[in-house]
Amino acid sequence: MPVQGIRTVATAQNGVGAFILQCKRLDFHYCDWAGSSRGMNAFLKHALPAFAKENPQIEIRISPRPHKHPIIKGHYINGREKAVCVRNLEPEQITQKANLLKQASGEKLKRTKKPVTSINDSVRGIWSPYHGGLKTI
Amino acid sequence: MFSRSAVARALALPLEQAARPSFTSTTFRACLHQTTATTTPTPEEPLSASPRAQSSTPIPQPTPLPTKTPTTRADVPASKQPIAPTFSAPLTVPKSLLETLPLLSHQKPHYITAHLHDRPYLVTEGDHLRLPFLMPGVQPGDVLRFNRASVLGSRDFTLKGAPYVDERLFECRVRVMGVDSEPLRVKEKTKRRRRHVQRITSKHRYTLLRVMEVKIKSVEELQKEGEIVVGEDKA
Amino acid sequence: MKRLQLQRWSSSALSSRARTDGRLQRQLCSSKRFQSTDATPVQPASEQLAEQQSFPSTTIRRPVRVSKYKLPSPPVQAAHESAKLAALHARLYLPSRLPLETLARCLINPSADRNPQFNNSSFSVLGHDLLTNYATEHLICTYPRLPLSVVFATLYAYVGPKTLAAMAREWGVEHAALPGGEVDPGLLQYKRVDPGTDLSTEPLVGTTRPNEDQKHWRKSINSSVVYDNEFGDPDLAGVPPSELQPEQAQNTKPVTMEQASADFVRSVMGAIYLHAGRAAAKRFFEQHILSRHLDISSLFNFSEPTRDLVRLCARENYEPPVAKIISETGRRSRTPVFVVGIFSGKDKLGEGAGASLPEARARAAVAALKGWYLYSPVEVRVPSTMEEEGAAPWKPVYVDLGEVVS
Repeated sequence: MPVQGIRTVATAQNGVGAFILQCKRLDFHYCDWAGSSRGMNAFLKHALPAFAKENPQIEIRISPRPHKHPIIKGHYINGREKAVCVRNLEPEQITQKANLLKQASGEKLKRTKKPVTSINDSVRGIWSPYHGGLKTI
Repeated sequence: MFSRSAVARALALPLEQAARPSFTSTTFRACLHQTTATTTPTPEEPLSASPRAQSSTPIPQPTPLPTKTPTTRADVPASKQPIAPTFSAPLTVPKSLLETLPLLSHQKPHYITAHLHDRPYLVTEGDHLRLPFLMPGVQPGDVLRFNRASVLGSRDFTLKGAPYVDERLFECRVRVMGVDSEPLRVKEKTKRRRRHVQRITSKHRYTLLRVMEVKIKSVEELQKEGEIVVGEDKA
Repeated sequence: MKRLQLQRWSSSALSSRARTDGRLQRQLCSSKRFQSTDATPVQPASEQLAEQQSFPSTTIRRPVRVSKYKLPSPPVQAAHESAKLAALHARLYLPSRLPLETLARCLINPSADRNPQFNNSSFSVLGHDLLTNYATEHLICTYPRLPLSVVFATLYAYVGPKTLAAMAREWGVEHAALPGGEVDPGLLQYKRVDPGTDLSTEPLVGTTRPNEDQKHWRKSINSSVVYDNEFGDPDLAGVPPSELQPEQAQNTKPVTMEQASADFVRSVMGAIYLHAGRAAAKRFFEQHILSRHLDISSLFNFSEPTRDLVRLCARENYEPPVAKIISETGRRSRTPVFVVGIFSGKDKLGEGAGASLPEARARAAVAALKGWYLYSPVEVRVPSTMEEEGAAPWKPVYVDLGEVVS
């Protein structure tokens, strides 16, 4: 056969067509007894239904964790997870933390210098020393 | 500005659209420098405009507000101020541009040097963009439109603006992907003769964007929108 | 009301709520008489529903309650109690006309539940056809000169099982360890292949190709069009399940994670088409498949590019191609670079750089051939746009012969 096709997989570009929120699950852990979960318990009672309604694409799990500080744990589509301890926080602060977990991409935090990352080829092509304005010695 | 944007957000409409609903109300124009987000359904939105639990009541069209130049704070230099959309007059295209624009618009792919707070970002379609700041008032999934570009180009052709290209010549849409953060920075500060090291921490947050579309409109599209006036050749 | 499996029927009716599809309902009603040992005649679905509403507590007609631990897949009612399922529905922005029960059914592979009323086999067949149809028409209209082997590879990259499995992973679909009635319906359920099973040793049966067992026989690309599926693989879907051997139909074959995930994505496509219509299905395809990044020029693998280029120029009545050195450096050194252009008359067809003259010439020929094959018209219109209301009259699109040398 003169020309053969090479099998690959098309790379995903989330957001170019459809947008999938990367946070897929939030686990809320609380303790009934300890004072550090007072804000968490109030959040679960009053603010969580509104939060869940705003973000239907996130699965929400609530489970007790006795004698431990309350935490929120976010599970992401790339398989990583991110946990935030919310001890002694007010319900409004806990809402902020939940929003933080919701908006995160799930990737490991990195310092990057360049704002743009691209998988496309360079539009203008790469400069070549063998073309144009050649000097003969 | 904040009160105006608050009104626009309350009406779930982009500011630009609230200001000028007469001009192409189907296309969605969020002026980037005002960082307005929208939840209006666009053709680029996913299948249903809103997730299940959210109510999708029809949005009443507000009465048109008088157009005025948006100004941010007074201490912001003029080059960083958002440009006012100039739609009072139809788009004027010189004859030389009219002849060469098909060459550019038909040669794909395109790149664009979009400016955001006077900072250039050279992007192509599908690129990932991490802004060096946290954009307020946007949610993941929102679609923004960049309306300020200095250079549009393809492999062989370039359209340069002086200083910016008219925003009706191109469409560049980006989607807000979320918020990223950097690892905690620790700066150690010392004073002389003081046996103490002060550790100052900072952790900045950045908005992640994804370029959905970079399109240079062809002459036919411009004519279809009825905004082409062949002007005098200045060159 | 509990959902019943057809095999487990003793003397009762199937819950009318368990059915999502009108055609399936009718099939179910017609097959009920044969499946049931009940002496009473079959009632139409509407009467049955009315009777259920009027006598909810009739002890005689009440269906036998089956423990959900005995069901092969979760009951239909469980779909509304699953947070995972609702989250998946919202995450994919599925239309609200597509109910959660259908999405739950899309997650059940035939290897988990053999009953076609409760698994996704019918959806996935439809979804597969839609996906390949949309992908093919997009590809052929956008790149009308692609050779067939590259068309196969491109289709594999867009809608092949590997890509669909990756999509399911990017949608955040999780897998159940073992299917069963008590499992959360938001998990993908399938019978897994035992670890250590060699999948490539299985004999190839059930294809439409004659002499299918002869693996070392040469397969031409033209025979692939006739006998193989859209990726150029042996077509196993050609045999309807009714013609399968009875013991083959009885024993559900375990499937790999890739197959199960791909079937799920296909069945979501089919379900969207059935519930929300053609326009929504096409938009779903464009947003999830066409938005993926694929560099088609990297899919070519030429064996003799210079010969192909000569044939191409002869076919298209161009002047025969001539390779010329454009520039060079370090010919006598250890690292020479030659830039060779291929010219047909005065037109430069392609150009390539290489460390030797034959290499540079081959690269230039490849560049010229890619330039020919990857031609794309300025305005692309696919045939399925004619299905829209008020579409402009169809103008025939240009499609090339394909390969230069086959």
